[in-house]
Amino acid sequence: MPRQRTILLVLSAVLALAAVTACGGESADPTTTTAAPATTAAPTTTEAPTPDFKVAVAYDLAGRGDGGFNDLAYNGAEQAAAELGLELTEVTAKAEDTDQDRSDRLRLLADSGHNPIIAVGFTYAGPVAEVAAEYPDVWFGIVDDGTVEAPNVAGLVFAEEEGSFLVGVVAALESETGHVGFIGGVNVPLIVKFEAGYIAGAKTVNPDIEITSTYLSQPPDFSGFNDPAKGKEAAKGMFDAGADIVYAAAGGSGGGLFEAATEGGYLAIGVDADQYYTAAPEVRDVIMTSMLKNVNVATHTFTTQVVDGSVQAGVNVFDLEAGGVGYSTSGGLIDHIVGEVDAYAEQIISGEIAVPSSTS
Amino acid sequence: MIETRIERLLLQLIAPVVAIVFAALLAAAILHFTGADAGSVLGEVVAFGTTPASLVAVLNKATTFYLAGIAGAIGFRMLLFNIGIDGQYRLAVFFAAVVGASVSLPPVLHVTLIVVVAMAVGAGWAALAGYIKVTRGVSEVISTIMLNAVATGIIAYLLAPGRLAERVAGSNNIRTPPIPSSGWFPGFGVAGKEVFGFTLVAVALGIAFWILLNRTRFGFELRASGLSLRAAAVSGVNSKRMIFVTMVMSGGMAGLVGIPQLLGSSHQYGLDFPAGFGFTGLAIAILGRNHPLGVAFGALLWAWLERSSQILDLLGVSREIVTIMQATIVLSVVVAYEVVRRVNVRRQQKLVGRSEHEGIDNGAAA
Amino acid sequence: MPAPAIELRGITKRYPGVVANRDVNLRVESGTAHAVIGENGAGKSTLMNILYGMVVPDEGEILVEGATIPMSSPADAIAAGIGMVHQHFKLADNLTVLENVILGDEPTGRVGRIDFEAARARIVELGDHYRIPIEPEALVADLSVGNRQRVEIIKVLYRGARVLILDEPTSVLVPQEVDELLKNLRRLTGDGLTVIFISHKLDEVLAVADEITVMRNARTVAHTRPAEITSRELAQLMVGSELPTPEPRTVEVRPEVGLRLRSVSTRGRGHETSLSDIDLTVRSGEIVGIAGVEGNGQAELIETILGLTDPVSGQVLFGEEDVTEAATSVRRRLGLAYIPQDRHREALLLDAALWENRILGHQMHPPINRGVWIDRKAAREDTERIVADSDVRTPSIEVLASALSGGNQQKLIVGREMAGDPRVLIAAHPTRGVDVGAQAAIWTRLSAVRRAGVAVLLVSADLEELIGISDRILVILRGRLVGEFDPAAIGPEDLGAAMTGADAA
Repeated sequence: MPRQRTILLVLSAVLALAAVTACGGESADPTTTTAAPATTAAPTTTEAPTPDFKVAVAYDLAGRGDGGFNDLAYNGAEQAAAELGLELTEVTAKAEDTDQDRSDRLRLLADSGHNPIIAVGFTYAGPVAEVAAEYPDVWFGIVDDGTVEAPNVAGLVFAEEEGSFLVGVVAALESETGHVGFIGGVNVPLIVKFEAGYIAGAKTVNPDIEITSTYLSQPPDFSGFNDPAKGKEAAKGMFDAGADIVYAAAGGSGGGLFEAATEGGYLAIGVDADQYYTAAPEVRDVIMTSMLKNVNVATHTFTTQVVDGSVQAGVNVFDLEAGGVGYSTSGGLIDHIVGEVDAYAEQIISGEIAVPSSTS
Repeated sequence: MIETRIERLLLQLIAPVVAIVFAALLAAAILHFTGADAGSVLGEVVAFGTTPASLVAVLNKATTFYLAGIAGAIGFRMLLFNIGIDGQYRLAVFFAAVVGASVSLPPVLHVTLIVVVAMAVGAGWAALAGYIKVTRGVSEVISTIMLNAVATGIIAYLLAPGRLAERVAGSNNIRTPPIPSSGWFPGFGVAGKEVFGFTLVAVALGIAFWILLNRTRFGFELRASGLSLRAAAVSGVNSKRMIFVTMVMSGGMAGLVGIPQLLGSSHQYGLDFPAGFGFTGLAIAILGRNHPLGVAFGALLWAWLERSSQILDLLGVSREIVTIMQATIVLSVVVAYEVVRRVNVRRQQKLVGRSEHEGIDNGAAA
Repeated sequence: MPAPAIELRGITKRYPGVVANRDVNLRVESGTAHAVIGENGAGKSTLMNILYGMVVPDEGEILVEGATIPMSSPADAIAAGIGMVHQHFKLADNLTVLENVILGDEPTGRVGRIDFEAARARIVELGDHYRIPIEPEALVADLSVGNRQRVEIIKVLYRGARVLILDEPTSVLVPQEVDELLKNLRRLTGDGLTVIFISHKLDEVLAVADEITVMRNARTVAHTRPAEITSRELAQLMVGSELPTPEPRTVEVRPEVGLRLRSVSTRGRGHETSLSDIDLTVRSGEIVGIAGVEGNGQAELIETILGLTDPVSGQVLFGEEDVTEAATSVRRRLGLAYIPQDRHREALLLDAALWENRILGHQMHPPINRGVWIDRKAAREDTERIVADSDVRTPSIEVLASALSGGNQQKLIVGREMAGDPRVLIAAHPTRGVDVGAQAAIWTRLSAVRRAGVAVLLVSADLEELIGISDRILVILRGRLVGEFDPAAIGPEDLGAAMTGADAA
C-alpha cells in the first residue's frame, strides 16, 4: 500500500496548503471593534429613547480580496460608528458560500440586534432582498448593487467609469509613447467598468492612443485581486511592449505594478484609495494619481443617515457629482494638468460627456 | 464472528473520534491562548449549531459536500486522485444551467435533462484526464489541475453578455438566464426551512455507490485495483479500461455537485455561484474513508463545522480557527487510520497465530 | 573450553494467545557456522529477532561470550558485535555500495564531513580479506541479488560484527550464487567469526553447518551435527512426523494440447528480456518445467501467457483456440490459472478478507459471477471449502489475507486457482519460501492437477523440484528456449550447466 499512503500524505499536504492560502486570502482584521466611548454620543441625540444601533459589515470574497476597496468600506462604517459611539461587527465569507449561507449570515446579524447591516458586494443582492423582507425594521445597505427594491434597503453604487475616465485623461495627456495600459484584477463586470471609463477618457484626449488591457484572473478565481507577483508580471509585459503609464484596478495586485514602474522608471495609476499614501513609501513616487472610489464615503453616509433617520431607500449613486468618485493629485506629478482634467470632470457632471460603463 | 464484527466497527470508529477530539482540543487550546474563553465559545457554537434552522442548513450543505465526497471516493478507491472535481462540477453546472434555461419541458423531464447534461459534462471533462492517463501516462493529478484552469477559462469566456449569459440590470453580476420553474427540484419543509429535494437523490446515489462497490463485479474489480493494481491485472482486470471508467464515473458524480444548489435554490449560474467544493470533497472522502456511510458522516461533520463557525464572527473569534480544525481533523484522521490499520493487522495475526498453533497441536495429537 | 559466542537460556516470548518461543536454549560456539532450521511458524524468526534486539523476550537471558547482555534494541546488538543480514535486503537502490554500507554509521571528519576515502579503503580491505569482492562505486540498483547480499554482509562486517545472523540467505539465490555464498560463510568462520543462519534447504545445511539446532512448535527440539544425521531425519525432526514420499510418475500424458506458443517474440522494455521465437507445447496432463537462471525471460514468458504483454509476433493458443489477442479476463474465463512467485504482489489483496481474495481471478466465473453481480455467499462458501480441504489454518474467512503466514497464504492461493476446473496452470516458484510440510502438500497438489488433465507450466529455480515433478524440462536462456531434457536422465549439475549456457548445446 505504499502508493496509497503516499497519496494520503500528498493530499494532506495539498489540503494543508489550501487551508493556509485560504487563510492568507483573508486579512486578520480584528473582527469586533467597540469604537469611541459612548459618553459623548448620548447627549447629542436628543430624540426619544436611544434607538439601539449596532453596525455590521458583511464581506463577500469578491469584495474581501480586493484590498483598498474592502478597507474603505470598513473605514467608512468604522468612522461613523466611532462618531456615533456604536458597536461594529464584521463577518467574513468564503468562495464556497451559497446564497443560503449569505442569507443566514445576514439573519444572524439581524437576530443579534445589528442595524444597519452593510453587505459588501453584488453577490449579496439576492440574500439582502430575501432577508430585508423578514426584518422590515432593519436597514440594509448593499455596496455595488442597485437591484434590490425594498423599503429598508439602500443600494450604494458608484460611477467607477467616471473616475476612471479622468485618470484615462491623465494617462493620455502624460504618455510620451502614446501607449498606455490597463490591468484588471478579475474579469468581472465591475472591473470592466473601470476599463471602459479609462479607455474612453484616454481616447477622448488622443483618439490614436494605443491601449493594452489585461485581467489577472477569471472568476471564480478571485486571486487576481491579491496577487502582486502576477500584477508585476503583467505590468512588466506592458512596459516592455512600449506602454509608459499603466492603471491597475486590481486591489492588492496593484503593488506589483508600482514595483515594476519603479524598477523600469515608468508611471502608474492607483485605484480605490489615494494610493500615494497607502502604497509602500519606496514606490509612491511613481504613482501619478489614483482613481478614488470613496466607498468609505458611502458606508459612512449610509450609517450616519440610518442613525439620524434621513436615509433613503433605493439606489444611492455615488458619482463624480456626489463626490463618490474622483482622482487624486498627491505627489504633485500632475499639478500642471489639473485644470485640464477638471474641465473634463465638469463636462461629465454637466452631462456633456456620457461615459460608457462597458467595453463592448 | 459477530463479536469481531463489532470489534471491527469500533476499530473503524476510533480513528475519526480520536481525530475530532484532538482537533477540538487543539481549537480549544488556540482559543485559550488567544485569550478567549474556550468553554463558552464552544458552548455558543454548539448551541447555534443545533438550532433547527442550522440543522436544515447543515443538511443542505452536506448534500453538496456528500456528492463531492463520493466523487472523490470513487477515484480514491482506485488510487486515482481526481483533483478536477472542482472544474468538472463548475463546467457541468454551467452547461446544465444554460441547457435548462433554453428548453421548456414538463417538470420531471426538464429536471432529468438538466441532471443528465450535468453528469455528461462532468464525465466528459474527467474522461479527458482519464484518456491521456491511459494513452500517454500523464498523471491525473497534473492533468486535472490543468483542466480546472481550462474549465475556468471556458466559463469565463462563455459567461458573458451576448454569449451564453446576461448582465443583470443595475447589478455587477452576470448570470445565465433563469431556469423556468418546471426545471426546479422541489424541496420539502422541515422546521419552517426548506431542505433540498436533491438530498434524497444524494442518499440514493450513496446507496447505489455502496451496492456498486460491494455487490457487483465492476465494484470488486475497482476495489481490487485500488488494493493492488498488479494483483487485479493478473486476475483479469483491464487496468487501463478501469482507470478510464473510474475517471468517467468520478467525473459524472462530480457533475452533480452543483445540482442541489442549481435546482433547489439559484436556478441560474452566475458569478456568485459557489466554487471550491472539489477540494472539500477530497478531504471529506478521506475523512469518510471512501465508504459511502463514512463520507456521509464526513459531509455532515464538515457542513456542521462550516455552519457553526458563522457564529464565531459575532463572538469576536476568528473564523479561521474552523479551517484549522478541519485541516487538523483530516491530517490526524489519516494518521489515526494508519495506526488502526496496523493494530488491526496485528490483532488478526495473533488470532491466526493462535489457530495455527492449535492446528499444529491438534495435528501432533492426532 | 572457551565461553560460547552466543548462548540463549530459557528464552520465552509470548504474544497474546501465542507463545512464539517456549523455553528456547541455543548455544553457538565461537568460530562455527550454526544452522537453525524449522517449519514456518516454528519460532525461528522470533528467536533471531530476539538475538538482534528487535524483540525483547519475556523470560530468559542472552549471553554474549559468557556475559549477560541486556538486549533491547539492534543498537545493543551491534554494540555487542552482532549483525544481521535480513532475508529482504534493506538497501537503498539509488545509492552506491559505499553509501549503503556507511549509511547510519558514517565516518565523519572535522565539521561533520563524511570521510568517504576512509570508508572506501575499509570496504576494499574487508572485501579483500574475506574474498568478497564488491565495487564500492557501483549503484545498488544495478547489482544482482547475490551481489546485494554481499553488500549486506560487508555492511555488517563494516560495523564490526563478530557474530553474523543470516535469515534464509539462500532462498533468493541461484545455484551458482549459493555455492559462492557457502564458500564465503566458510571463510568467515575460518577467520574466527561466528555465523548463525536460518534455512529451509536441508542439503545446504548439511553441507555448510558445523552444528544444527532444530525448532518445532516454538521450542528447540534437537541439537545435532551434520555427521550424525541425514537430511531425511532432519526433515522428520522439523515436521515431527513421517514425510510424504515423492510420488512416482504414473500418469499418461494425453494427446490433446493444453497450451501452445508458436514462434512467440516480444520486445522487452527497460530491464526486461525480449523473448525470441519461443515454441512451446504443454499437453493436457503434462507438467513442463522451465529451468533457467532468473532474469532470462521467465517473467516475460509468464506475462505473455497471462495476456499482460502482447507479443510482437507469434501466437498463443489454449487448446485450439487462438488467444493471442484475448484480454487476461478472457483467458481466465477459458480456464487459465496462475500461481505466482510473488504472492503478495500478484495473487493477494493483503488488506482484504480471505473470502474476497477467493473472488480474485474468478470475478468473471460462475458460481461467483452472476452477470454484473458478485455472489458473496457463494464466494464465502467456497472459501470455507478451500480452508477445510487445503488445511488453511485461520480462525475465520473474515481475517485479512495479510494476517496469514506465507505457507497458509500459498495454500489458499493454490486452492483458489484450482477451483473452477482450470485447463492451463502456470506455477512460478510455487514452493519458494514455504516450509517442508507445505512444500510436499503443494507438490502433491500439482501432481493431482496433472492427473486431472491440466496442462501445467512449472517455472522454477529449484532444480530438485523441476527434476522431481516435471515430465519434460525446457531450459530458457536470454529469452530463448535452448534445450529440452528428460528429467529422468539428467542431474542437477548438468541442468545447472545448461542454464548458464556452459554446455553450449
